[in-house]
Amino acid sequence: MKCEQISELLPDYLQGSLSPDQRRTVETHLEQCADCSEEVAIWQKLSLLPVEQPGPASRARFEAVLQAYQAGRSNQPAHNSQWRKRFSSWNVFHWLRSPLGAAAWSAALLAIGIFAGLRLAGPKPPSPDLAAMQSELANMKQLVVLSMLQQQSASARLEGVTWSTRDQQLDPRVLSALLHTLRYDPSVDVRLAALDALSRHSAQPQVRSSVVSALQEQQSPLVQVALIDQLVEWHDRDARPHLEKLRQSPNLNPAVRQRADWAISKLN
Amino acid sequence: MLQVRDGAGEMLGVLFDRYQTPLFNFYSKLTGDRTLSEDLVQEVFLRILKYRQSYRPGTPFRAWIYQIARNARVDHFRKFPRQTALEPEMLPPVVPSDSAQEQQEVELLRRALRMLPEDKREILLLCRFQELKYEEIAALLGCELNTVRTRIHRALQELRKSFHQLTKGTALKRAEAAAGEHFSPRGGGHEV
Repeated sequence: MKCEQISELLPDYLQGSLSPDQRRTVETHLEQCADCSEEVAIWQKLSLLPVEQPGPASRARFEAVLQAYQAGRSNQPAHNSQWRKRFSSWNVFHWLRSPLGAAAWSAALLAIGIFAGLRLAGPKPPSPDLAAMQSELANMKQLVVLSMLQQQSASARLEGVTWSTRDQQLDPRVLSALLHTLRYDPSVDVRLAALDALSRHSAQPQVRSSVVSALQEQQSPLVQVALIDQLVEWHDRDARPHLEKLRQSPNLNPAVRQRADWAISKLN
Repeated sequence: MLQVRDGAGEMLGVLFDRYQTPLFNFYSKLTGDRTLSEDLVQEVFLRILKYRQSYRPGTPFRAWIYQIARNARVDHFRKFPRQTALEPEMLPPVVPSDSAQEQQEVELLRRALRMLPEDKREILLLCRFQELKYEEIAALLGCELNTVRTRIHRALQELRKSFHQLTKGTALKRAEAAAGEHFSPRGGGHEV
């Protein structure tokens, strides 16, 4: 047999899934063909490559995220997952066409109608159950964010910052963690992401004052420029003296100085 | 996995214990970067937590987890493109020594594997180290079973050639080193 024909059998030979006859055919060929037998040899040699172990901190990191997640989840109503399980395992289309489905549809439409009517009549506070559920969900998200912001890996902290942007309202603890991240995180990427997340919360006086003080502390030109741009975007006139002070720093990057000049002219 | 899907978070711990080392090895052998591999493993489990509802009961879990693992890696390199491709020349030379023959072979093999294009390296890792069945790999890569077989064969062929080249290079160096020792005045004992 030629190598070409053997090559079709070789992958299955390597996994040991050939019939005895086919296996013998391959083995006979291997005795005569150096290239093919070398190929088998290299496959076997691959087992010499050692199994590498992840670092010991890996498990702890995983635990931290999981615990934060579970802490939030344990407060959720128990029937939630049961309901989701039933819902996803049903054939939804089949169900919708059944008489029960039709009745449910009608009920749903009626409910939508009533809801719309109530909304038009005047805003009412959401039901206490729904509010409780929402607050618990928010609580869980906060825990995840807080635990992620403390991770060793920059990508995990970045993820934490991203998570924090999912909610319109920012919990005070998450806010202060983000402010801390903006000022002290060792990674430029994470600090930039934190600034981006904070930019949505300019109404909070703490946010503005932290951005202004970060201006004096940050050494990275990238972050400095981002901070300046943010202040211009907010039209924060109070920041002007701080920008003046920044542009006079002796070791300032020329690009940052230029940006500061531009910002000062904008804020005038 | 079904328990994880339906919200039993502690089951995820069991999955973590079972899969973190294989996944870590998949990434570390693919990228050669330990820190990045650890980050990616965490990312995979975070995604399992987030997207567990998308797991369909009855489908092989291993294929699903590797699907997530591949996507996590693709997304990572989309966000942070690699600045330099790893060139074999950038690696320090392998010092030939008889005492550590096997160790040297392992090092050469590791390099030969790293010289392969990424798709070939990946398919070899999936079938040799992650022990995925060819059917599972076909589903994962979205191709025919026969295509998987052909790709594995080609990857092995290329690996064999690279390994052969590297071994020859090292043997040459060893011969040179031996010759240098033989003719060097400090070699001693050989001159008459």
